[in-house]
Amino acid sequence: MPDSAEGIKVPPLPDETGKSSSGQRRDAVTPDGAFLGGVIDNLPVAVFAKDASDDFRFVVWNKKQEQITTLKKEKALGRTDYEIFSKESADYFREVDLSVIRRGKMIDVPEEIVSTAAGEVWLHTIKVPIRDEAGDRTLIVGISEDITERVRAREQLERLNRNLSEKNRELEATQLQLIQAEKMESIGRLAAGVAHEVKNPLALLLMGVEYLDSGIKEGDPHLADILVEMREAINRADKIIRGLVDFSSDRQLALEAMELPPLIEESLLLVRHELTRNGVNVDVEYEKDLPALKIDGAKFQQVLVNLFINAIHAMRDIDRPKLEVLVYSDTLVAVARDEGVRTAHHLRSGDEVVILEVKDNGCGIPEKNLSKIFDPFFTTKATGIGTGLGLSVVSKIVELHGGTIDIRNRLLGGVSVRITLKVPGTQDAD
Amino acid sequence: MARKVLIVDDEAGFTKLLKLNLEKSGEFEVRIENNSMKALASAREFQPDVVLLDVVMPGLDGGDVAAQIQADPALSGTPIVMLTALVSPGETSSDAVAQCGTLVVLPKPVNLEKLTATLRGAIG
Repeated sequence: MPDSAEGIKVPPLPDETGKSSSGQRRDAVTPDGAFLGGVIDNLPVAVFAKDASDDFRFVVWNKKQEQITTLKKEKALGRTDYEIFSKESADYFREVDLSVIRRGKMIDVPEEIVSTAAGEVWLHTIKVPIRDEAGDRTLIVGISEDITERVRAREQLERLNRNLSEKNRELEATQLQLIQAEKMESIGRLAAGVAHEVKNPLALLLMGVEYLDSGIKEGDPHLADILVEMREAINRADKIIRGLVDFSSDRQLALEAMELPPLIEESLLLVRHELTRNGVNVDVEYEKDLPALKIDGAKFQQVLVNLFINAIHAMRDIDRPKLEVLVYSDTLVAVARDEGVRTAHHLRSGDEVVILEVKDNGCGIPEKNLSKIFDPFFTTKATGIGTGLGLSVVSKIVELHGGTIDIRNRLLGGVSVRITLKVPGTQDAD
Repeated sequence: MARKVLIVDDEAGFTKLLKLNLEKSGEFEVRIENNSMKALASAREFQPDVVLLDVVMPGLDGGDVAAQIQADPALSGTPIVMLTALVSPGETSSDAVAQCGTLVVLPKPVNLEKLTATLRGAIG
């Protein structure tokens, strides 16, 4: 908008008799009247008009319209939208124009985006059909206000709002984690205290059994059996306590760069006896040149042994028990959240990961139990076979490694356990 | 000649059974000290070949007793085997414990076979 102190100069205003001060008669309401033309030309909003009877060629194109479109009046007048804008934009304008004519009344387009030589511009446009009295000429008159800044500000506000709610959600999640961590910490302290108190009497019992064991020579033939049972019971109680402490303690991991395959081989050796006894066929497949991971070897071995033992137990009544172990690398597409899935917050889309799959063809997990399998002391195994701590400890260790564990039934029977671990040094450095 | 084992542990029932087991074969001669405050005096008097030491005890803990023994000119160098009901071995490694060169940590409950093997190994 011109802002000189002299103001905008337009041809003289007609007097009451319809004559200008120069004496020439002027008609203030004809669009080509010089005075009105001057006013329109200098309005702070873009004004244009197209002649619908003449292929919608532009007949009015004011200064603000020049500014917005960066196209001079001389180049615009007499041309159609198709000669000025992209086909896509022109199609859109034509559609609105036709609609204005069809309806015979004003159309308000609160927001439209127009591509100009200077870039994209957001406009609020009102289009009005104007007919001459004879009815043989129809003009589409448009008024556009440049609302680009407003739209951009609103978009930014929306973006900030979205960020804010996301931060809020993160905050809530962190708070939940903190509560959980605090809870776990007190359980951990409790468990460690109980463990110490229980292990002392266990130690005494074991010494008693040792003494009796060495004293048996003849006499009651059941004595030896009884002592074996007692010794096993002491071991079992000890294991339960150890598991509980493992589950609840928040010990730091001793992370080292290592690859999964050697660790898997070692763990398979540890359960070799069980595998042979149950006639389990083992099928191992590793992708070549797997990236190294940051792993606490001892802890992760615990994970593997637990998973293998679970698989073996699940395949007890199966004709051809088969344990499959697969390791391959991948790029994470989406981080899933589902029943039977433990998701740590460390994995993000785009992360390079190594995936370990342990599959069996055993009895599977009843659907109703899927949501409970990670709960401490949840077990379907007979007393003495399982403590119900295996998977709780497994998921805890995987979580401590910043990974996820996903356990689901396979379509053709059996269970598939999938552990996803991030390859260190990909994407962000946390 | 039997090797001398000093057991310092406040669990009287446990130490009694431990002594019975260790002395049975005649390989070891055992002295029990259930009061950790008297551990040093007992050690000076008994002159053990190895000390079997509990960690969590009222009065002085295992780390303190180990440090006392190592600091005593007549006892310094006596091998020490720690026996603990603590679940995480990390909890055992207090500074005092870390100073002892010949330290082995065994978890409770421990079976006799492993314990005697460890004692033999510590004595050398």
